[in-house]
Amino acid sequence: MSVVVLDNGAYTAKVGLATHDEPQVVPNCIMKAKSERRRAFVGNQIKECRDTSALFYILAFQRGYLLNWDTQKTVWDYIFSKEGIGCSLEGRTILITEPQMNFQSVQEAMLEMLFEEYRVAGMYKTTAADLAAFNYVTDSEGCPSVEALNCIVVDVGYSFTHVVPFVLGRRIQEGVRRIDVGGKALTNQLKELISYRHLNVMDESHVVNQIKEDVCFVAEDFKDAMRVHQSEERRKQVAIEYVLPDFTTVKRGYIRVPGKPREDEDQQQLVPLCNERFTVPELLFNPSDIGIKQVGIPEAIADSLKACPWQAHRDLLLNILIVGGSSQFKGFLPRLKRDLRALVPHDLEVALICPEDPVRYAWFGGRELATSANFDDLVYTRDDYEEFGLQGLLQQQQQMR
Amino acid sequence: MAGRESHRIKDAEKKRVLDEAARQRRARKALEALEQDNFQDDPHADLVMSKKLPKFQDSIKNSKEKKGKRKGAEYFRAKYRKTFQQLLEEDNKQKPNYVSASAPEPKKPVRHFCAVCGNFSIYSCTACGTRYCRIRCLRTHQDTRCLKWTS
Repeated sequence: MSVVVLDNGAYTAKVGLATHDEPQVVPNCIMKAKSERRRAFVGNQIKECRDTSALFYILAFQRGYLLNWDTQKTVWDYIFSKEGIGCSLEGRTILITEPQMNFQSVQEAMLEMLFEEYRVAGMYKTTAADLAAFNYVTDSEGCPSVEALNCIVVDVGYSFTHVVPFVLGRRIQEGVRRIDVGGKALTNQLKELISYRHLNVMDESHVVNQIKEDVCFVAEDFKDAMRVHQSEERRKQVAIEYVLPDFTTVKRGYIRVPGKPREDEDQQQLVPLCNERFTVPELLFNPSDIGIKQVGIPEAIADSLKACPWQAHRDLLLNILIVGGSSQFKGFLPRLKRDLRALVPHDLEVALICPEDPVRYAWFGGRELATSANFDDLVYTRDDYEEFGLQGLLQQQQQMR
Repeated sequence: MAGRESHRIKDAEKKRVLDEAARQRRARKALEALEQDNFQDDPHADLVMSKKLPKFQDSIKNSKEKKGKRKGAEYFRAKYRKTFQQLLEEDNKQKPNYVSASAPEPKKPVRHFCAVCGNFSIYSCTACGTRYCRIRCLRTHQDTRCLKWTS
């Protein structure tokens, strides 16, 4: 039986069998709609919901860690049913991801859940960054084997952003850096700004998330972009009007194209947006702008580099892999490159690698790993679990590092 | 006596200034709000399952299915009901851990932004410390937010 690969993210779970071509992306949450009072929506069932205004989210993850197990179980039940990937976990091996620096108690819960509730035959637990790095090795020609890999994975997720360096194929745990800004914080910040400046959208996480995806971008030169406040001409370039969905004629909001109104557009609610478009993603680069006492991604990479042996620095900077949903903002890569360039020694070259699909990239790595020759040696089997429990798993991971 | 009030007290109240602790508390609250999943109440919270509600075929089936599996979920919730804070406290035995992995504090001076319009700001409100960039923004701020969230 083929292995189940599950990249269990805080916002979306990427799941599929190792024999599948690509994973399903399933919202890892339960949602309740105001319009539909008879039921809650689990995972992709939200597609059946016609009116997603004031959507209420119940997430299994809190601050990036899996804490609400009953929610997670409901979602997993859905995923491993006919509605989801169409097969159960029973008797199968699962490859599953967890966040960096996962807490022991959470690991224990996951182990018990998988072996006792879902009756898996075996499991292999890793992080999305490891899988991304593994996929990078199999993808690129320059790097022949995992053992020779030097790279930095930047995972810009929903709850937070991690910088994870790998030297000679091993994760340098001391070099892992976390920035407490991710997609959720950005959405909430945008929500707060719109609610104060224009109209109250505090209840509309779902809609504001779409606005964020549609309009936000990273300014290459922030100071220059802020000239929208001085120059009318600059303002015109950035200022847009966003048409909010009303869930009858407009199902999903969109940016208004001046001069080419769509049907009924003059009756729809509009939100004018200007500096919000780039000050919100700016938080990834300067969390201190809203008072989070942490450096942004470029400085975090430079800081992480310090924890790695200097011999590897050249290779590390040449192989910076960007994954995670919030890395998809337009202008993210050029800005990161520019800022990082200024922070590291000038004789070292900086190269960023951004996969076409940064959301599912880790899953593809998981698929590669699950179908690789020595995967069976990595699996923590039911026999191991029954004999050694959590301690055995922790020891196994210690040895592998 | 009714209707008469002291101007001195009224003026003093107007000039109330938040102390450093209150300002920090405010800032922390704003940051915590960024972690929140929902700002509204559960839309189904007031839902009472009454017999009058028509029961459709699929909803009956669903609830039955859930009952069988739900047992497990309850067990897990009871066994692993630790909050994030508890987990953090347990986690400090070995390094590197969650706390040590946090990105360092910035060395550059912090930028300030007008709370109203988002422009760079060089002034701050004398009462609550919120940033603003020009008189017009200050007025808006005083009318809308200044000292409204104090507690």
